[in-house]
Amino acid sequence: MALPPQATSITTPPDELPLELLHGELIFSGVLLSKDKEGDINELLSKLEFIGFSTGYRLIERLLKDSTRFKDELDTIKFICKDFWVAIYKKQIDNLRTNHQGTYVLQDNCFKLLSKISATKQYLEHGPKFLAFTCGIIRGALSNLGISSVVVAEISTMPTCRFHITIQRAT
Amino acid sequence: MVMTIHNLYIFDRNGTLMFYGEWNRKKAGTMNKEEEGKLVYGMLFSLRSFLEKISPLDLTDNSFCYRTSKYKMNYWESPTGVKFVMNTDLSSPNVKDLLRVIYQMVYVEYVVKNPVCPMGEYIHSELFAQKLDELVKSSLIYTSKTS
Repeated sequence: MALPPQATSITTPPDELPLELLHGELIFSGVLLSKDKEGDINELLSKLEFIGFSTGYRLIERLLKDSTRFKDELDTIKFICKDFWVAIYKKQIDNLRTNHQGTYVLQDNCFKLLSKISATKQYLEHGPKFLAFTCGIIRGALSNLGISSVVVAEISTMPTCRFHITIQRAT
Repeated sequence: MVMTIHNLYIFDRNGTLMFYGEWNRKKAGTMNKEEEGKLVYGMLFSLRSFLEKISPLDLTDNSFCYRTSKYKMNYWESPTGVKFVMNTDLSSPNVKDLLRVIYQMVYVEYVVKNPVCPMGEYIHSELFAQKLDELVKSSLIYTSKTS
């Protein structure tokens, strides 16, 4: 039986699967939605984002135990793109852009939580639900490094997505 | 030698038709897919229990096939009861391995790991259909077809 060459690389190792399945269930099980406000998408998204925030806040602590201090903000963002992303999604961010004024755009061309769902415009309406948790993770990680930020995500075609990080300056 | 994959049915444990894929079906069915799925499942269900009852040995394999003078129907069942049924022509070798790979590489990856796909319902994911098509077309049985 000849297999297409990419066939073996797409399978998730079993140790990462529980997280993936748990994440999917968090979104679709309705556990996060209170009974009387069923279907309120914003409530779901903010709960997912908060779960992500706490996760990221704690996770960065664990990941930094062997790391040196960061030079500056860009250095911190680079850490998020490389080691942090590898720790969660086993790959690096594919593209990082910045305007050097506190706005960073992180692009992942094959975001893991979307890669099994669609490669076209199908199911695009479900996209935001799959990104809220990760937005929270980034915000939480930065927050524990003393950087307060707003993180939003966008999808044009699955499984490519972009995370926009806007650093909040103390005025 | 001409080898062909005609079509593929996927049933869940309860006999619901989860997917139907078609590649070289020369004679169009006379009924709708849902009706046809029920007919195919009913036949397989009976055939399977028939095989178990009359078998002179313990059946350890979760697959079987039957052949007519024109085509061969191959059946493979996962331990969880997902049933894969593929019609091929007579000269094709056993497609049991292909069916297992479809289960592992396509069904598990793009249905089980896709929270948007509810379990036990017809699969509407385009990504699933696309990956399945790629896998079938890259298999030896399909590629050695001389049309």
